Amino acid sequence: MAVTSGYLGSEKAHAEHHEEEHDPRESLMYDPLPRGVMNDMVMESMHTTSWKFWVVLGILAFLVATCFFYAWGYMIAKGLGVAGVMRPAYWGVFLVNTVFWIGISHAGTFISAILRVFKAEFRRPFTRAAELMTTFGLIQAGASIFMHLGRVWLAYWMFPIPNERQLWPNFHSPLMWDLLAITTYVLGSTMYLFLPLIPDLAMARDRSTGWRKTFYRILALGFRGTEGEWRHLTTAMNIFAFAIIPVMFSVHTIVSWDFAMAMRPGWSSTVFGPYFVLGALHSGMGAVAIVLVIMRATMKHMDYFIRKEHFDALGKLMMIVSFAYAYFFFNDYIVQWYGGDKWTDTLLHWLEEGPMAWMFYQMVAFNIVIPFLTLWNKRIRTTPWLLALIGLLINVGMYWERYIIVPVTLSINRMPFTWRLYEPRIEIFLTIGTFSMFLLFYMIASRLIPLIPVWEVQEGQMVHTLRKVGKAQVPTVSEFE
Amino acid sequence: MSDTTLMALFEDIDPASEAIDKLHEMGVTDDRMNVISGVPVTHKMLGRPHPWTNVSRIALGGAVAGFFVGLFLNFGTPLLYNVSVGGQYITPIPPGLIIVFEMTMLFALLATFLGVFLDSFFPNYRPMEYVPEISDGKIGLFFKVPQDDQQKFADVMNEMGAESVQPTEARQL
Repeated sequence: MAVTSGYLGSEKAHAEHHEEEHDPRESLMYDPLPRGVMNDMVMESMHTTSWKFWVVLGILAFLVATCFFYAWGYMIAKGLGVAGVMRPAYWGVFLVNTVFWIGISHAGTFISAILRVFKAEFRRPFTRAAELMTTFGLIQAGASIFMHLGRVWLAYWMFPIPNERQLWPNFHSPLMWDLLAITTYVLGSTMYLFLPLIPDLAMARDRSTGWRKTFYRILALGFRGTEGEWRHLTTAMNIFAFAIIPVMFSVHTIVSWDFAMAMRPGWSSTVFGPYFVLGALHSGMGAVAIVLVIMRATMKHMDYFIRKEHFDALGKLMMIVSFAYAYFFFNDYIVQWYGGDKWTDTLLHWLEEGPMAWMFYQMVAFNIVIPFLTLWNKRIRTTPWLLALIGLLINVGMYWERYIIVPVTLSINRMPFTWRLYEPRIEIFLTIGTFSMFLLFYMIASRLIPLIPVWEVQEGQMVHTLRKVGKAQVPTVSEFE
Repeated sequence: MSDTTLMALFEDIDPASEAIDKLHEMGVTDDRMNVISGVPVTHKMLGRPHPWTNVSRIALGGAVAGFFVGLFLNFGTPLLYNVSVGGQYITPIPPGLIIVFEMTMLFALLATFLGVFLDSFFPNYRPMEYVPEISDGKIGLFFKVPQDDQQKFADVMNEMGAESVQPTEARQL
């Protein structure tokens, strides 16, 4: 008999099971290299640029110059009439972009802060890549709000400055809450990006010459790594990790209140706060997957730091967030559908059967159906290009979701004589401009700052050991702090 | 008799912590030594006193200041610059909580950041005792000894497994 059957299954199945067993040494934490080697790898990844990099950088710089600065300047000179916003949809793509970019920014905080608080070890090599997304995403969100203002030079009216015209901000307005929450989040996340970067800037300072040496010397602030410096830094990072989580939740909740506080069909919903937060995490996770795959494919030595295990963990997170998103989406939908309000019913029917129905169904497919059908599979999760594709589809779906919530919902209201479908005009160029600027900033940053937090990776490798239990090597993690 | 600062460079934490014990035995007190490393090595691992930090207190101070700034913005300024909107309350509490929360968090985060600068004396661009090997993962043990005993201490550190022992000078980072 070739194969014997036994209580614990066939020998063949047993052998296959052994073949499929995960080798702990495939994990970054159990495959350490000397710190100096890792430093050199990260420095080389920053210094190595091909002609393709400069071509893409040039194209993005051109798009930023034309689609962002020129188009915005043109709109300022000509007025908001060149945009598609008009009755009844006074809020258009600018606010779609604002909500979208704030959503993207949530990934950095989630990955860096929440996973740090819960000591999720897989976070270590890509916290900085995610934190950069937060800062650069918030810059685009801020720019989009200023575009929406139209007369952008009067933005200071939002600030509580005593003035002769006796203009005073109304702190009861969700728009004022937005200003305060986004300002807090921009400043907080930028400081949170900078603090763990200081030791890596010091490392880069020790290995650079010329203008780079001066650049890193200034930014490293004189950090050497004394006991006191580490103590102050780690204490501050712990405070930031805990404090920025409620700020993150507050920001997107307040953004949702911009809509939910209005008594409009489709907007007035008590579940909008958590629904928006989950949506933000959904798009943010997808964007992190895209960024990691691009980093791994285009930057030298990144395949050592970013491995299949990281895509696997990220894929699981994306799946869980997708479940939670689906729950809140359905919760929001069913309550409105059941409510019986005439205008809400009209809006929902219009979404399902109207000219924008394609967008509604794509949103459901990309945000819920595709993640559900694919991300349970480990082979898909660990295939970088597939995970990036799913991340891209999720982001398209999330952009459609915001588009449906803002201008499409505004098109249907309680006054049918005003119904009109919103058509973006100069907004299309400005959207291309914000996306190009985000990518441009990211590309420049990839050559200026270490995208891998080397000291955090080394710290992780120091606390991970393999312990022999019987015939197996069992991964063991000890508390470092 | 003047003092000199020696730097012993170690590959790993274990020999460094044993070397610290040895220095204690030889009469070098904790305030005359410092450990510099490329990763945050805790004081317990090295057998060193707990380093003091004011960052948490400064953060708390910032949070308290932010709380009062939030209260002032929401409950103070509307009375100074009254905006009456359709019979609404001038200083309602629920929206005020949002302003107070955001200001508390903003000032707490700013104070935490500032606390690192204050406690670490950042930025500091003066010449300092340092070797670049530390960011390569080595552990530098800096300690002050009488100049005449320099060789004795260097020999002991070499016995404890130091890769190199040398007098240090402040250098531009």
